[in-house]
Amino acid sequence: MSAVSAAPVVTENARPAWTRRPKIDQWICWWTIPIFYNLFGLIFVVLTRVMPPPRPDITPEQIVAFFETHSLTIRIGFALLMFFIGFASVANGLIALQIKRMSVSPVFAYAYIGALVVGGLPGCLLPAFAFVAGAFRPDRDPQIMVMLYDWCLLSFVGSLGCFCTQNMVLALAIFLDKNDILPKWLAYMSIWMIVTELLASPVFIFKSGPLAWNGSISFYVGTAVFVVWEFAIIRLLYVAIKNQSPTEQIQD
Amino acid sequence: MANTQTAEVNAGGTTTRAHLPSNKDMWVFVLGDLVIFSSYFIIFEIYRHQQRQTFLSAQQHLSLSIGVVNTLVLLASSWFVAQSVQLTRAGEYERAMRLTVGGGLCGVVFILLKAYEWSTKIGHGLTFGSNDFFMFYYMLTGVHLFHVALGLVFLGVVFFELRNPKLRRVSMVETGATYWHMVDLLWVVIFALMYVMR
Amino acid sequence: MDLRPQWISLWLLPFFGAILLVVFVAFPGFLPPMSPQMTADQVAQFYAQNTTMIRFSMIVFNLCAIMMIPFFMVIVVQIKRMSLPSHVLAYSYLAAAATGATLFAIADIFWLIAAYRPGRDPQLILLLNDMAWLIFIAPVGAFVVQNLCLALAVYLDTRPQPIFPRWVAYFSVLTAVAMTPAACAVIFKSGPLAWDGAISFWLRIGAFAINIAVMFFVVRGAISRQAAEQAVETESPATVTDAEVTR
Repeated sequence: MSAVSAAPVVTENARPAWTRRPKIDQWICWWTIPIFYNLFGLIFVVLTRVMPPPRPDITPEQIVAFFETHSLTIRIGFALLMFFIGFASVANGLIALQIKRMSVSPVFAYAYIGALVVGGLPGCLLPAFAFVAGAFRPDRDPQIMVMLYDWCLLSFVGSLGCFCTQNMVLALAIFLDKNDILPKWLAYMSIWMIVTELLASPVFIFKSGPLAWNGSISFYVGTAVFVVWEFAIIRLLYVAIKNQSPTEQIQD
Repeated sequence: MANTQTAEVNAGGTTTRAHLPSNKDMWVFVLGDLVIFSSYFIIFEIYRHQQRQTFLSAQQHLSLSIGVVNTLVLLASSWFVAQSVQLTRAGEYERAMRLTVGGGLCGVVFILLKAYEWSTKIGHGLTFGSNDFFMFYYMLTGVHLFHVALGLVFLGVVFFELRNPKLRRVSMVETGATYWHMVDLLWVVIFALMYVMR
Repeated sequence: MDLRPQWISLWLLPFFGAILLVVFVAFPGFLPPMSPQMTADQVAQFYAQNTTMIRFSMIVFNLCAIMMIPFFMVIVVQIKRMSLPSHVLAYSYLAAAATGATLFAIADIFWLIAAYRPGRDPQLILLLNDMAWLIFIAPVGAFVVQNLCLALAVYLDTRPQPIFPRWVAYFSVLTAVAMTPAACAVIFKSGPLAWDGAISFWLRIGAFAINIAVMFFVVRGAISRQAAEQAVETESPATVTDAEVTR
């Protein structure tokens, strides 16, 4: 006895062949990640000059001059971010799905999503708005311009607990996983990410030196570790999706 | 991974096949951690070179005796942990468990001594922001302390797995030991750089 | 399965949506939208003259807007019912919805802070006002990606009777395209792409409003079909056992 349906039935050949490729939804999601990170590089390094960051220990006049000089590229760069930041949600959904394939309760998958929903705002978008506000009207009171400068760079470079949580739940899930979805060494690398996050805490204290927001330790070593981790996870997700059986049942 | 486990357990804890202790994942962690710490040490040296006098006089405030005691405590703990690996391989799980606990307790002593040391320094007004030397001091010993705490977690896992006959694996004990030895090695370097070298 | 949470979440949308529409009109800064070219003194004066209405409308705006979250979560649940290779698009949709809602809430707070002490330095009020407007209009990425995830999910749904009709995919993409240019509100202080412009303000908000209005009916249809399917399933086991008994 088949269910009576009122809506029209869709025939298979109404849709193109690519939609029938196995795991096509995960593949499309995966592709957004390397594209996003390349754009991230363009936005933060080339256009908005946030990476590497300008120095904390310059005068208000120099800060105002910074905003005046880079006003246009900051605004264009962050306009791009306003659009592309949405794709961070796709990356998070994909990693969360892979965590759900692991042999443990899906708690960590949901915690991962939760932690990074938090992270996107103070870690990326709110700093962007601070710089935009500075670039939008560089003729504000210099004290305000300094505050906006501080706001962006402290929030962007400074430590955020959500990233510690994200890396912790990922590491725990991988350690406890008996299905070997992701290799254990990624868990250890996630621990490095926690360490570099902790070492980003002093940026809220120092205005110069290795632990300032432009410091060799807080920024440069931290960013190097992040880049290595990101390359690793992009590659490992690729392998994980490739090795996933199309008929695998994932816990709901 | 599963195959090596059964092979080890069936062989009564000893393997005649030569193999790298623990698994490649822990070695990725250890080597990477050493690279990252090396970058910190190099940066420390650069700053020390630029501010020889400040660093030299700041260094006087460090208590060499506490530093030496801490070093000995960690070396002892490494010895305990190394022994527990040998005993696990020989199948003597009870003694291995006790030695793991011993190693862990030494780690706790290290943390307490470090906390005491920090509190005395802070009591003297030597805080994180006092000067560049103390900034590095708190930073390096702080990150190291995080690694010690993490090591206690790993040793705890080793202990719980040794307790359960169904979970016992030499590779797990080796993995914990590898990490713990790295923590010890890092401390020796920090001790040498910060307390001893002038 | 009890579908009442879905029905409740669905009907929260028109209920709170109506309130949102009222306060949208009531907020003195939307019709017509405030210009980015207003000076600090003009902005300060605006807040001083309209304090009560700004506070009232923004407080209500904030309280009611997040009431849309359960509705978006119904869509998450419906995406999970689709015949897709995996649930990844449902999770991505969820993450994007949470991000977008948070941004909306933050923008509202900035308006309220700006209105709190009318005697504040006009430079500060100008900054707070800028923040509120930029955060309200520009970060379209969250809702855009929400719609793109939904579009892809609908397009890939291989159920003989799809959860959402195929046109929803195209409609979602259209919404995304209509809203995307508003990201440029961070660039311009005048013209159609400025936060008060035809594209960044009217098209963006209009597209959003039309989208959720249309999706209300789409989701209503989906829940109804789900209820019908469940009704048939509960009937079928009974007829099978009857047949076995008679045999």
